[in-house]
Amino acid sequence: MVKGMQTRIRSQLVCPLVLAALVLPTIASAGEADPLTPGQMAFFEQRVRPLLIERCYTCHSEAKKVNGGLRLDSRRGLIEGGDSGPAISPGKPEESLLIKAVRYQDTDLQMPPDGKLAAAELAVLEEWVRIGASDPRADTASSEKTDVNRAAARAHWAYQPLQQVAPPAVGDGQWPRGNVDRFVLAKLEVRGLHPSLDADRYLWLRRVSLDLTGLPPTRNEIQSFIDDHSPLAWEHVVDRLLASRDFGERSARPWLDLVGYADQIGSANNVPAEHAWRYRDYVIQAFRDDKPFDEFIREQLAGDLLTAQSIEQRQSQLTATGFLVLGNVNIVESDKLIMQMDLVDQQIEKVGKTFLGMTLNCARCHDHKFDPVTLRDYYGLAGIFSSTESTYKEQRGVWSSVTKSPLPETLEQFTQREAALRENAKKVAAVHEPRVTAEARLRELTPLVKAARENPTAAAPGAKSLADLEKEQAELTKSLATLEQQSWHLKYLEPSTPLAYSVKERAEIADAQLQVRGNPHVLGPAVPRGFVEVATHGSPPTIPADQSGRLQLANWLTGPASSLVARVTVNRIWQRLFGRGLVGSVDYFGVRGELPTHPELLDYLAGQFIRDGWSQKRLIRELVLSRTYRQRAEADDSSQVAITADPENRLLWRMSPRRLDAEMLRDAVLAVSGELKPCTGGPALAPEFIENVGGLNPTDVNPVSFSLSKFRDDQRNLRTIYLPVVRSSEQQGPAEVLNFFDFAQPARLAGDRPTTSVASQALYLLNGPLLKDAARKLAAKLLDDTTLTTDDGRFSVLYLRALGRPPATEESIAAREFFTNRDAPTTGADSGGTDPLAAWPRLIHALLTSNDFLFRL
Amino acid sequence: MQSGKLVTDQHRLNRRHFLECAGCGFGAVALQAMFAGMARSAEGPLALRKPHLVPRAKRVIFLFMAGGPSQLDLFVPKPRLVQYHGQRVGVTNLPRGIAVGTEKFLALGPAAEMVPRGDSGAMISNLMPHLAGVADELCFLHGMQVDNPAHDLATLQFNTGVVNEVRPSMGAWVSYGLGTENQNMPSYVSIHAGSDVRAHGSAFLPAAHQGTVIGSIPQDPKQSAIRYLNDPQTPQAAQRREIDFVQAMNRRLLKRVAEDRVMEGVMDSYELAFRMQAETPKLVDLSGESAETLNRYGVGEQPTDKNARACLLARRLCEVGVRFVQVTIGGWDHHGNIRDALPKSCAEADRPVAALIADLKARGLLEDTLVVWSGEFGRTPWSQDLSGTAPIETHGREHQPESFTAFLAGGGVKRGYSYGTTDEFGYQVIGGRVHIHDLHATILHLLGLDHERLTYRHAGRDYRLTDVYGNVVREILA
Repeated sequence: MVKGMQTRIRSQLVCPLVLAALVLPTIASAGEADPLTPGQMAFFEQRVRPLLIERCYTCHSEAKKVNGGLRLDSRRGLIEGGDSGPAISPGKPEESLLIKAVRYQDTDLQMPPDGKLAAAELAVLEEWVRIGASDPRADTASSEKTDVNRAAARAHWAYQPLQQVAPPAVGDGQWPRGNVDRFVLAKLEVRGLHPSLDADRYLWLRRVSLDLTGLPPTRNEIQSFIDDHSPLAWEHVVDRLLASRDFGERSARPWLDLVGYADQIGSANNVPAEHAWRYRDYVIQAFRDDKPFDEFIREQLAGDLLTAQSIEQRQSQLTATGFLVLGNVNIVESDKLIMQMDLVDQQIEKVGKTFLGMTLNCARCHDHKFDPVTLRDYYGLAGIFSSTESTYKEQRGVWSSVTKSPLPETLEQFTQREAALRENAKKVAAVHEPRVTAEARLRELTPLVKAARENPTAAAPGAKSLADLEKEQAELTKSLATLEQQSWHLKYLEPSTPLAYSVKERAEIADAQLQVRGNPHVLGPAVPRGFVEVATHGSPPTIPADQSGRLQLANWLTGPASSLVARVTVNRIWQRLFGRGLVGSVDYFGVRGELPTHPELLDYLAGQFIRDGWSQKRLIRELVLSRTYRQRAEADDSSQVAITADPENRLLWRMSPRRLDAEMLRDAVLAVSGELKPCTGGPALAPEFIENVGGLNPTDVNPVSFSLSKFRDDQRNLRTIYLPVVRSSEQQGPAEVLNFFDFAQPARLAGDRPTTSVASQALYLLNGPLLKDAARKLAAKLLDDTTLTTDDGRFSVLYLRALGRPPATEESIAAREFFTNRDAPTTGADSGGTDPLAAWPRLIHALLTSNDFLFRL
Repeated sequence: MQSGKLVTDQHRLNRRHFLECAGCGFGAVALQAMFAGMARSAEGPLALRKPHLVPRAKRVIFLFMAGGPSQLDLFVPKPRLVQYHGQRVGVTNLPRGIAVGTEKFLALGPAAEMVPRGDSGAMISNLMPHLAGVADELCFLHGMQVDNPAHDLATLQFNTGVVNEVRPSMGAWVSYGLGTENQNMPSYVSIHAGSDVRAHGSAFLPAAHQGTVIGSIPQDPKQSAIRYLNDPQTPQAAQRREIDFVQAMNRRLLKRVAEDRVMEGVMDSYELAFRMQAETPKLVDLSGESAETLNRYGVGEQPTDKNARACLLARRLCEVGVRFVQVTIGGWDHHGNIRDALPKSCAEADRPVAALIADLKARGLLEDTLVVWSGEFGRTPWSQDLSGTAPIETHGREHQPESFTAFLAGGGVKRGYSYGTTDEFGYQVIGGRVHIHDLHATILHLLGLDHERLTYRHAGRDYRLTDVYGNVVREILA
């Protein structure tokens, strides 16, 4: 399918007129008019003002709305005008936009939109402009008012430097295991509430295993924890979990949500992001290695500008900058300027949301309405990213692609690749030969067919008939097409230098110009590259004229802006462990965001995080070993007061249960059934299957496209993070579970997923293949296990595997009853009756659909 | 999260009471009845909500013509195109880029004749004889606009208002704004939806508002219309037993934690799922419709069967209280040989669409049902020839977001009316422009929703379907 090339700017916003500068230098004088004569005054008050109020103010006044940036309730508003430039040119009605608009002269600009003014009204306005548009109205000092708001917003808690906080004194000195607990307990005591009892070992182990690795504990892990009588038994568990590869896989996924990661570039035409997996693997490794978070930031924003000590480090640095370009990048747009600035906007949004908890992109069009973020802040950052190359124009049609960098190879990698290349060359040769033969034979056939057609009777004896010749020709043509596809496919798969999506400095480094209402074709003055002023404490780094400023941006985030960055980061970790951030709105710390429930604790943790060298593992270790984290989720009689006083558990008087997210759900099901296979990363898409690749013809106007028609055999057994993520359709094949359980669509940059419960989820759990397969496989394993001789023994093992705990007595009874007292058998393998091959899967399936399994308590 | 906030204290009290009763020996049947009753009175995300204004329509059927039907072959005769057919046209205001195969700018006359229809005289092609029969019900918008020339992105914008973000779809907004009348069914159903889930997604709105997809309407009642609606291997009674076992476990757990809305939500969802398993196949089973009705839509005949089933099901869904039904009818992307391909597409779609409008009318449903018919964009007046050598008669047309035609019917819009005009070629809008944001604002308005007040707080900001744009097209209101 060919994509159109016509492009338009958002035409309804922009009139084909030259626009005035957005900022003010010439305007002050324009606003100061001579005093009005009584005649002018009367004309304005009696004729003009009522008309403006009645027909224009609804959409163009401070009190109501300011559509198109235009205000008609002040002299200054008229003269400064809105997005389309000054509304009037005093004395010159023909040149005044306002007059053109009310005359309905131009189809693009007809005001008021709900009906043309009466001729007499029109005449009043024309006359008024003709005689100089005298206007006695005071200019409401909107900019001053905004300044006042901004000053108030500056005082917002999130923009203050970190406070030095000491842990508070508490009444019950026995309860806290550390400082975190003191902060939590102190708040509870103020409200007259008490913490809950400790969770038992089974529940705590399942909780911490799921939180840190996304997987439930195995039977052995359960047993060794139960048997560990050391007072450091909990520490042993946590250290084991933090050191596991699973920890990286679990921690990376929320980060990919923030990045908008997918194995697809943009959302048009299924263009594969065939190198994106390198970034995914980089993130997993970074978490696993406990890469200091400040370095993690620096590499992702400016890895290409850092120096490296090793080939591997250089690979990481280049790959890390994929952060900036692995969102939903539009690559099909013929107006490349708009395309570029939309991406810059996305990069600013991503940096703002991920690191600062700010919605900076509102300031693309106007100073932020309620946060102290200005156009200058925005365009200061825009200059940094527009001086960075993120996409480049492809040779195909209107298409662009995301910038890639070749990665240096270690000797081992290079040797392996050479070997792979030789293998590929053999395959190429294997296709080439029959192709040459087929082409030669086709060349022979063409004249024969022609001759036979012209003279069907003259065929030499023994020669093939026309029908045979035509048949051979058709078959050869078909097989030639297949061979051609195969050779393109091999070319596509050729093991070339490894590439990573990675940004570069542009050859031309420049400050960005303000854009009127975010339209890159309508420019104001240039804004020096810089950072967000309100988040800055101390002096920001200087950006050299020949650098984009990405490196300085990273240094600003981890330096002068570190108070906010550390708060946002610590809060994300807290959210992952406790289900809700200390600040509930994890991606937004602004004026309209939620207030922290424990502001002192937040600052305490943020300060400690920085002092600990931005180590995430140290922070996580402290949190999961806290007594706060160890509390039960179950309520008891004494909980009633707390439930009434704090039903949302904001004060942390217990642990909040949480439903497993989509990845955890699938991974846990695979783990419980013993089907999960370890993986060390690598490409998620499987282009080695020719049915998964389209548009291979190099002359095609569209880029190569992917499909997910076929998965590798082992993909069904891999953790969900290794499965392909697509933007333009539902998630496919084994990743299907993501469609049902609140997976973040990969253009929604989000640090928090909602937890919904809807019927489609229940249908998936009840009738879908995931749980059914797992139940069958686990049943077979249980029945094959010769160490298990009784059903009770099997019940115990099953509950341990599936729910991480032995069955309670009443559960054993209920299970036994469900198990034996079944409906009359029907037919097929899954019939009822007491046939154990059918009964066990059903019981296991039931357990896997229960909230005991679906929640981590 | 957000949905949780909607749960009132009274509702929670009811639930508590229910859960206590459930703990002490209610049978499965009574349980189900209670769940059903509660679902109906629920204060959940799908509870009925009062509109801002007096509504003119209660529900929407959106007939989405995927691919972009050619307005210049169907509804908008341009004498200049006939006159200059095959010749280079003097187009001004050229787009900045020229798409492959259109660089010759050869005017392409219509594939068939368009003639005035009904009392209104609306121009409708001979390729759509059935639609011509209901011409006086229609309100044409000839000045439609979207912002992007690529299918996926224009489709996204048509459904969500934006191109580069994940925002809730139109149906999700409507569901959020009004709730639904039947708690046993989803509020928003998308029949034959395209693959891009964002086009019927709920984004940051509660997931209950997302479109439920009916991928294909089964002819065999044993097949399921909704994914995983049934487990053919497990008898209903066996499944009920399993659910009872699981719900007993769930009640024990819930009692232990005393209060957890998500756990309660999961428990509710199993019951709703179980009811849907019973209800949906009945609804999707068209065999109870009269022979005359089936015939009118073209059910069981080719090439209409697929679209006929979809349109007929749309009516049935409306009758049981589904708020927003989307029917996707594809096959309109005629880049090449439009003279050959367009008649085929029309033959598949014309009869079912016209039958739906007539059927709604006959049942008195058209009064308060708004029918919207549109592609994601239209097609160019000049021809497209990908080969570069084909004769003009086998050319097609390229995408055109700058102007195209949609029509509405029922639900408070003028009957037999046409709004908007384009230049002599049918490229630029010269009057009565309706940008997609304006259409969204108008659809919401007809449903009694003020597009500026229908907002949802997300990431510190109040979001709207119309972003910061959109004007209600008052000219077309009845």
